[in-house]
Amino acid sequence: MRKFALWTFAVAWLAPAALPQDPQRVTVAFSDPARPKKLVVDMSFGSVSVHGYGGQEVIVETSNRAGIRAPGRREAEPPPGMHRIGPSTAPGLEITEENNTVRISSARSPFAQADVTIQVPVQTSVTVNAMRGNSISIDNINGEIEANNLNGQVTITNVSGSVVAHSMNGKILASLNSVTPEKPMSFSTMNGDIDVTLPASIKANVRLKTDRGDMFTDFDIKTDSAAQPPQVEDNRKKGGRYRARFDRTTIGTINGGGPEIQFTTFNGNILIRKK
Amino acid sequence: MTCEEAKSRMADYWGRSLAGEAEAAFSAHLASCESCRSEVSRVGALWQSLDLLPLEEPSGKVRDRFYEMLGAYRQGLASADAPVRRRWWTQPAWQRAAAAALLVAGLGLGYGLRGTSQPPAEVSQLREEVASMRQLVALSLLQQQSASERLKGVSWAYRAEPSDREVLEALVSAVNHDTNVNVRLAAVDALRRFASSPETRRAVVDALPGQTTPLVQVALIDLLVDFKERDAADVLRKLAADGQVNDGVRQQAQWALERLQ
Amino acid sequence: MAGNTGDNAVMAQVSAGQVAQLAVLFERHHRALFRYFVSMNRDREAAEDLVQDVFFRILRYRASYNPARSFTAWMYQIARNAGLDQARKRKAEVVDIDTFADRRAELVSAAPGPEENLSRGQDLVLLQRALERLPEDKREILVLSRFQGMKHEEIAEVLGCEVGTVKVRVYRAIRALEQIYFALEKEKAS
Repeated sequence: MRKFALWTFAVAWLAPAALPQDPQRVTVAFSDPARPKKLVVDMSFGSVSVHGYGGQEVIVETSNRAGIRAPGRREAEPPPGMHRIGPSTAPGLEITEENNTVRISSARSPFAQADVTIQVPVQTSVTVNAMRGNSISIDNINGEIEANNLNGQVTITNVSGSVVAHSMNGKILASLNSVTPEKPMSFSTMNGDIDVTLPASIKANVRLKTDRGDMFTDFDIKTDSAAQPPQVEDNRKKGGRYRARFDRTTIGTINGGGPEIQFTTFNGNILIRKK
Repeated sequence: MTCEEAKSRMADYWGRSLAGEAEAAFSAHLASCESCRSEVSRVGALWQSLDLLPLEEPSGKVRDRFYEMLGAYRQGLASADAPVRRRWWTQPAWQRAAAAALLVAGLGLGYGLRGTSQPPAEVSQLREEVASMRQLVALSLLQQQSASERLKGVSWAYRAEPSDREVLEALVSAVNHDTNVNVRLAAVDALRRFASSPETRRAVVDALPGQTTPLVQVALIDLLVDFKERDAADVLRKLAADGQVNDGVRQQAQWALERLQ
Repeated sequence: MAGNTGDNAVMAQVSAGQVAQLAVLFERHHRALFRYFVSMNRDREAAEDLVQDVFFRILRYRASYNPARSFTAWMYQIARNAGLDQARKRKAEVVDIDTFADRRAELVSAAPGPEENLSRGQDLVLLQRALERLPEDKREILVLSRFQGMKHEEIAEVLGCEVGTVKVRVYRAIRALEQIYFALEKEKAS
């Protein structure tokens, strides 16, 4: 009896339709887990939380009592000659899968107000758009990450790849373990701080702009000598940190330069931390 | 279904592309065949784990070389059609590009040359090729689905010639229509490169009323101030007075008006 | 991203003279193409050269593309030919011993090492090595179906065989991989 070091493949998959699924928890498979995978989430109400895990499928859970409409489950058709009385029991969430993209969207009704937690394979590209919800949080993902929030914080942790994030009213907190070489990134918020942690060895061209806030970093950012030099606070000898404060719009390079990273805020501070 | 047939269906099964009758027949066979069942599970695990192997990525040189080659090829086609036959190319397109690359090494295109030495190209023709390559890269990246790729397209656009109208139009279009805020912001920034053209200034003024995202509105206003664009005064005045507009934006518009007096 | 029909339509445009549209196909496919070449010969520099070569050939032979055919299948046919041509050329090269040492260093993958995953009880280093030791024809068909995600019909076109044959060959390839993997595991344990 050989002991195989790799995980075993569950044959139970054979009859998915037979297994009744909890309407508040649904599992969706990608057409072809071997090819690049993508998750797109569009939420009108409610917070979104996405986590990378060791499996191959997308697991969606929601606290929404109206439940989830998953691919393959249809609304009951009225029998011929008859029509439905009253509103249909609209689901809170709708999930579709096509060509390796899983799309999750919430109905626009305020009854759809609920939080959703999604688990995806670590190597997935993730796009999350939230409107009147609270927060977006994305964790343990290796891929292209896009997050757009209208009112609420965006928190991106323990990721590798590239990030393009925006929040109208809310803080952006991001921490990257490693970055895809040659991919640009961008962080923007109207009202809120941008607090980003990047690998110390990153090579980038940075562009920082805040109209009413300050910018701090412990990286050594080389700016154009013609521009105003930063005010440097060097407390390293006292066991503290190295901080440089910049003027309103700053263009510079880190570690010799590389793809562009943009940091833009109106009312807020920019903090760029070294990992 | 026999074991032989089942074996040839296993890859489809693991890839989840087995359906309908074939799937039913396959499941039926597995139900009655211990050896196939164990094989499906055991070898299936190996099949799945191939996913975990790290993916190789090509270096940036691949893209540079491709666009050089494409640009040079197009130039070659164009000059082949030209009424005055200035055909000083006799080598295949990509070797020509290689020659061009040797001379543009200083422009940071870094390119390993394979093959024999080539006659040097005329400098202006060279510059055209490089410019058209940058244009190609920018335009094709700006059409991509991922915001990150479009951001890259904007940064290539920034390296285009200030006289390149196609790139300018693509950038203005990005400012007005791109679905991603960050791409729009980057595009506004990239328009600085085209400051010398009156079309650009016009486009920025025109873009302002249609833009509803506060951050982008602020970026456009700041750009107008940097351009010292007095023609923007009307638009700015309207913005500053509009109660529907974000407070921060209104204040910025007001400040801009004062700066432009 | 866009499905197969997207590719066919774009290539048809290139055929018709809109040469610049090749850039769209480049952006979509060059990474996968690179990985195919690296899986076959593990020489990254040669793989990059081959990617360039393939797109140049696509340009040169654009008039011969038939829009009714799958673009991917056509592209990989070109890729195989380019690979064979390069291999033929290289056989003739007599490599200096110092160059050989340098080149071997390059053969190590530049991607982050699979060693990181050992803690999860999955021996990916061994798996990678097993894949490299697969006979070329088996490795190729496994790469085309498993990593390039090509359909059996497309692979049949590329390899010039029957669809049924493809399915059997894929099965045999993964079984062979398993044998090699276990042999390596035994080697390691002893």
